[in-house]
Amino acid sequence: MRRIIDSEIIALMARLTLAGIFILAAYYKIVDPAAFGKSIWNYHILPAQTINVIAIVLPWLEVLAGIALLVGAYYRGAILWINIMLAVFITALASTIYRGLDIDCGCFKAAASAVGPAWDQLNLDIGLLVLAAFLLVSRARKWQLANLF
Amino acid sequence: MNMLRQAFVLLFFASVLGFGVNSFHPNAIPLIGEYRELTEGSEPIVPPSASAGDPPFIAINEAKLDHEAGSSLFIDARDPSEFECGTIPGSINMPFEYLPEDSLEQYMDSVLSGAAKEQGLIVFCSGEECDVSLHLARNLQAFGYTGVKIFFGGAREWENFELEIERRVDCAE
Repeated sequence: MRRIIDSEIIALMARLTLAGIFILAAYYKIVDPAAFGKSIWNYHILPAQTINVIAIVLPWLEVLAGIALLVGAYYRGAILWINIMLAVFITALASTIYRGLDIDCGCFKAAASAVGPAWDQLNLDIGLLVLAAFLLVSRARKWQLANLF
Repeated sequence: MNMLRQAFVLLFFASVLGFGVNSFHPNAIPLIGEYRELTEGSEPIVPPSASAGDPPFIAINEAKLDHEAGSSLFIDARDPSEFECGTIPGSINMPFEYLPEDSLEQYMDSVLSGAAKEQGLIVFCSGEECDVSLHLARNLQAFGYTGVKIFFGGAREWENFELEIERRVDCAE
């Protein structure tokens, strides 16, 4: 079991997948921060005063965590953030499903409409969290920039 | 400890980049936005995304009066599945997500059965968390329909006020 967890190939695939998705997801949020703020507001979880600060910072945290994961620098910190972000996204999505809110999750694009396949996104996020948790416990460290220094 | 230190460094640079880029961003947003909480009052609900020139927003009271008077046609902008689960009685479905972009005006005229351009139209969707009513209303207005209003409280506010809901399919399970 430990050999699988420490598999360099599996870890690399997980890194590429998570990094790609986080960077892609951040792009649309950076391009249109107002729409992303609206998406956050749609969840009706956070106080209104905090929404724009999160809409400004969160996409860049996604980008930096994605890049750090990809190149293998600040690797442990990036994995920690990706696990935290995914856990928060999953909790938020689950709460909208529980409350019967029909929202665009704002996960990959600006909130152009209300119809969001919350269950599909929830399942995707759970799958990504499995990958992120795998990286958290894996000792695989090949193909990382940090090894060069 | 190393992990936490790295996480703080990433958060610091994300904050610097975020606030830095936002200050030069063509679509920059203020640090504190104007968002409203969910309400169920008699005042019209107007979303933050509304802009000048949009069709007027109406409150539940006005929507109810128009419905009783039969003076306006109610249009549900949600998906057919949601429309069938429960909508304002007598509404027609014009799902914004599935509008034919190439023949939008013909589609609207067809669904509205050749209604006069001045016909009162009240567009709604689920509630405050959705914007499709606003987008559909803007399109109707753009194609010359002058009697368009938006009931942004939507089907949920209608139901919360214990008004009748028309259910074509039992979606309880």
